[in-house]
Amino acid sequence: MANKTLGVYLHIPFCLSKCPYCDFCSIPDADKRTKSRYLSALLKNMTQLSPQAEGYLVDSVFIGGGTPTTLPPQDLKKLIDTLYRAYYVTEDAEFTVEVNPATVTKKYAELLVAWGVNRVSIGLQSADDGELNALGRIHTVRDFEESYRILRDAGVENINLDLMYGIPTQTTESFLNTLKYAVSLGPEHISAYGLQLEPGTPFFENRDSLALPGEDAEYSMYCYAEEYLRENGYEHYEISNYAKPGKRCRHNMKYWNSEPYLGFGAAAHSDFGGCRYGYVSDIRAYTDAVESGGQDGRIYAEREIHTPASTETEYVMLRFRLREGVDKKIYEALFGRSFDSKYAQRLEPFEAGGFVKNDEDSCRLTTDGMYVSNTILSSILDF
Amino acid sequence: MNENQKNIRNFSIIAHIDHGKSTLADRLLEATRTVATRDMEEQVLDNMDLERERGITIKARAVKMSYTDSDGETYTLNLIDTPGHVDFNYEVSRSLNACEGALLVVDATQGIEAQTLANAYLAIDADLEIIPVINKIDLPSAQVDNVRREIEDVIGIPAEECPAVSAKTGQNIGQVLDAIIRDLPAPKGDPEAPLSALIFDSYYDSYLGVVVYVRIKEGTLRDGDKILMMGTGARFDVVEVGVMEPFGLSHTGSLSAGEVGYLTASIKNVRDTRVGDTVTHAERPCAQALPGFRAVQPMVYAGIYPADGARYGDLRDALEKLQLNDAALRYEPETSAALGFGFRCGFLGLLHMEIIEERLEREFNLDLITTAPSVIYEVVMADGSVRLIDNPSNFPTADEIKEAREPIVKASIITPSEYVGGIMDLCQDRRGVFFDMKYLDATRVELHYDLPLNEIIYDFFDALKSRTKGYASLDYDLKGYEPSKLVKLDFLLNGDQVDALSFIVHEEKAYARARKIAEKLKDNIPRQLFEVPIQAAIGSRIIARETVKAMRKDVLAKCYGGDITRKKKLLEKQKEGKKKMRKLGTVEVSPEAFMAVLRLDEE
Repeated sequence: MANKTLGVYLHIPFCLSKCPYCDFCSIPDADKRTKSRYLSALLKNMTQLSPQAEGYLVDSVFIGGGTPTTLPPQDLKKLIDTLYRAYYVTEDAEFTVEVNPATVTKKYAELLVAWGVNRVSIGLQSADDGELNALGRIHTVRDFEESYRILRDAGVENINLDLMYGIPTQTTESFLNTLKYAVSLGPEHISAYGLQLEPGTPFFENRDSLALPGEDAEYSMYCYAEEYLRENGYEHYEISNYAKPGKRCRHNMKYWNSEPYLGFGAAAHSDFGGCRYGYVSDIRAYTDAVESGGQDGRIYAEREIHTPASTETEYVMLRFRLREGVDKKIYEALFGRSFDSKYAQRLEPFEAGGFVKNDEDSCRLTTDGMYVSNTILSSILDF
Repeated sequence: MNENQKNIRNFSIIAHIDHGKSTLADRLLEATRTVATRDMEEQVLDNMDLERERGITIKARAVKMSYTDSDGETYTLNLIDTPGHVDFNYEVSRSLNACEGALLVVDATQGIEAQTLANAYLAIDADLEIIPVINKIDLPSAQVDNVRREIEDVIGIPAEECPAVSAKTGQNIGQVLDAIIRDLPAPKGDPEAPLSALIFDSYYDSYLGVVVYVRIKEGTLRDGDKILMMGTGARFDVVEVGVMEPFGLSHTGSLSAGEVGYLTASIKNVRDTRVGDTVTHAERPCAQALPGFRAVQPMVYAGIYPADGARYGDLRDALEKLQLNDAALRYEPETSAALGFGFRCGFLGLLHMEIIEERLEREFNLDLITTAPSVIYEVVMADGSVRLIDNPSNFPTADEIKEAREPIVKASIITPSEYVGGIMDLCQDRRGVFFDMKYLDATRVELHYDLPLNEIIYDFFDALKSRTKGYASLDYDLKGYEPSKLVKLDFLLNGDQVDALSFIVHEEKAYARARKIAEKLKDNIPRQLFEVPIQAAIGSRIIARETVKAMRKDVLAKCYGGDITRKKKLLEKQKEGKKKMRKLGTVEVSPEAFMAVLRLDEE
């Protein structure tokens, strides 16, 4: 079985500054010692687990954060070298690094390409400096554009732009400008996310005083994105993701396809060996757990063994994030019964409302359905 | 009068809420060494948690004290505490009838309030000797002389010499005891006469059955007697007779004319021991029952439903238990298309309703959905028959009604004069008919209005409070039923009528009320996948409408780094929440949202 594939995710929880809406695991003010301990732990973690991945071909690597490029180039190189040594990364693997504007120099960009990085994801968020400011981003549109050029010039041929809608002060008009701007640069992939207010973030605490555009405006923005990007050659393949033909993010597709992936680092998640698990999100706790050998389970924030029922539920839940939805033949092959026997009736009211399209061959959410998918999924799935 | 009676004093303490009735009772218990100071729990007589928290007495209580005066003479003092709220006026009147005298407590900083007057009149009606007690003289804002004058001017009883005390510090409590001995008459009655005893309270005890508090008016009651409740006709064999000590019952074997005590007779339900009823001997009954007995009638009805439909049985058991102790509480099963299985419950008033709701939630750990309270309407049908309507859903259609009548109360409001204008506007707005206005003193006014009870239970208390910064007090008494232009207001969600939201309202009020509730519905109904029209209707005529816009967004946009578990948990939680939702037609509403719509707050 030498052709099993695997995705690998490395988490770099360091940033230049913490955005007020961000609830990811990242800290802006890590000292040198914390960083070096963390990196050592990450290397150890990767090496320790590599025997388990024997026989797997790593065809996607994603280094995310935080901002991986806040690491000095030699540190990042150490990580990548270890990865290549400990895992079999294929020649044509998709290799993504997340970058924030104004954190990547020409030199750094060239190094990334030299190390095998072939895809970069940049957080533009908005083409309006006022909105960037409202988001607490530390870069301007100009900074972004410079970084974008640097990356292209260095030879990065696959670039994703992160865009955001539902930003304080944003209007449908300004969002359309952001979309136009993004498309004008010609990235291969665009992620357009609705701003989510996460408990514990400053945005959540101050949610009543933020000039948020509101649910209806946000919905319009979502529709604009879908329409405008489609017209410009981007396929809306997942709730928040758009790609030029052939440029879907292979790494993310693994999540939606229930394919195996290993995550390393604080708060990293894995789905491997019949088990889904997440590491602790506290950087120190993670470091301590790895240093102590990782035998006592302290490293896990959660662990869940797949059961036939949970596998089925997750499959439908994840496939419904994708435009193509559930392929009924594949579903039947996987779970030994017809999709409709379980779901057709449950889906009826949503079908009638135009949120679901249930054909002979496949069942999928419509554009409207995708945007209220929690309501639909929580109603039809068994947990 | 026999020797025994000469040294008995039976009295109540009456007061407006918060004027210090229970605190004074505590001090009396201490001063008579009935309760040692170290055993004093704040307000011994209010032994329900709710009573202590709210500062009101819900149930009457009674306690026997022993007091030796300066001449070495020993007296038995029976203190009969009274409930302190307009909802319980009947119980108050029965407690007063068990006494010869009353202490009328008046707060030296507040002066006479609506319930001071109402209670004073009840005491006067019961022919009681009244001793005014001016309380809270320790407060810097106490105005003892003004309050003395007010008592004399307004109530017309001498107050020149009356005790002025601080129940809090215990100052001058001795004067109160001396006044009780000196000014209150001893009870009368012939211990050999046929038994007549007044029931002034009862409660259910799981070991003893119902414990009945009685005042023996004539005759003697002993262990083993066969007794008859003259009002209800129920017969029992007395198990035990005794007196009430502060921390429990004390078996004495007999009680005779003039005395206050309890009886037990393996009685299963307080419904057989109605307050105001007369206990007599089954074989040698007295000629006439004591006057004034009536079965208390609920004035306010509401539907009570478990928020979680599966707990219907628990709600039924809880109501059953509460009713063991509360003869005024009525309930019968009802079904609502919107809320499922529940009970239509009858209460003496809003406070009674709140107390029952709170006890159900606290003592029985139930989450409830309660419909808007309603009064009982009398409807004369086209064929001349009369129907009593306690549930708005059952209100007949306009063409079936010849005449609709609603209960009217005589309301008395006492207020600082600066708020008179605001109160008059409020009463006017609530369809009040002005009766008269009297100055109690230079700064305080008593207003009399006839008001529809359904306006009072809507939001009158809160409105009065907010317009008078809480300084006005209200008391009322049922006057009777009067014809009124009543209509039933229905609400439709997405075209389906929601029975639990219907209510009866005066024609003139219908539009404003319809708009207000429709807006509240709009604000509280969560967005659904489809647009939800909200309509308020009288019959088939739509008089207000709103729209809940369709839900546009309910998505976990970002699913970062493959954190599938989080997404799954979120959906799981959402599914869990959905189970609690009530389906109002095609619209899903949480119990909290439903209650928010019914919460009656002014503007």
